[in-house]
Amino acid sequence: MNMRLALLVLVAGLQACAPISRVTLLPQDDGRATAVQVQSAAGVVDLTQPYQTAALQRDGRLEAQQSNAEEVSKRHGAVLALPLLPPVRFTLQFEPGTSTLTPDSQNQLQGILEQATARAGGEIQVIGHTDRTGSPQANDTLSLQRAQAVRNLLIQRGFEPALVEAIGRGEREPVVPTEANVNEPRNRRAEIIIR
Amino acid sequence: MKFPSLLMPGLLCALVLLTQSVQAQEARSGTFKAVQGAVTVGQGDAKRPVASGGGVVEADRVQTDATGSAVLMLRDGTTIAIGPNTTVDLTRFQFDGTTQQGNLAIRVLQGTIRMVTGLLGKVQPDNVKVSTPASTVSVRGTDFIVEVL
Repeated sequence: MNMRLALLVLVAGLQACAPISRVTLLPQDDGRATAVQVQSAAGVVDLTQPYQTAALQRDGRLEAQQSNAEEVSKRHGAVLALPLLPPVRFTLQFEPGTSTLTPDSQNQLQGILEQATARAGGEIQVIGHTDRTGSPQANDTLSLQRAQAVRNLLIQRGFEPALVEAIGRGEREPVVPTEANVNEPRNRRAEIIIR
Repeated sequence: MKFPSLLMPGLLCALVLLTQSVQAQEARSGTFKAVQGAVTVGQGDAKRPVASGGGVVEADRVQTDATGSAVLMLRDGTTIAIGPNTTVDLTRFQFDGTTQQGNLAIRVLQGTIRMVTGLLGKVQPDNVKVSTPASTVSVRGTDFIVEVL
């Protein structure tokens, strides 16, 4: 009787200690500063240190605490074990004034396909870029056309259409910054991202 | 006379193919990478099992049971590792690849996710939100865990 009551109180106590939800900030691979902000009806907590946690308690309190790598690894082993593969990038060049790849760039397509196919759910993003000759609007269109031309090549060689996406970034991301209306071949390219 | 009649079916065929291509590209918000055990995705009662390479769209719900887990990558590169016994909704996902702008909202109803933010988290962090039944996480960094117990 007393023992049963004691156990009941203990279980209730443990439940009272278990939060409703918890957010944990993880370190960034490159060591740069990182942060998330957690907000509830009871207030706001900023997590700014790796392995800091914000726990929302059953009574509504939002509490920040400092945890550590070992503790987080123990609690979240399953989700931390899931593989997050870094993307692989290539740069392809076009023959001047066209959407046709140079022979050297065409030769890279097979390797790109092999790497993408080897990944679970592997995808390819083709991102077209231009230099700053012509208007920004025209360059948005041209960069997308070039990306689509490469996308079509990949599909022709057997890659699944739903897993390859063409994007045109226009002149927004030059490799070599220039003034407007400057011809710069290095900026006229397609970036390939395998992920 | 002959020429137009020959041209029309070809044009129609090309148009259909182009439409299908564009639709396939636009419809998908993200793709499952690694998938282990029992994982389903869908809306309402229309749930389907998940395989590597399978797609996800806005408003989809992903569920894992005790044996399931999955890695989902959205079009902006945001990566979500979904642990066992987890239910997570892709409440909102809009992403313009040209401008790299849009919106992302994820709701964790149960279980544990790890999220590594992509371009949206870098270009427009205020437009990225992860919510639980009683709290909201605003993104300032790139790698964190959200669990609902």
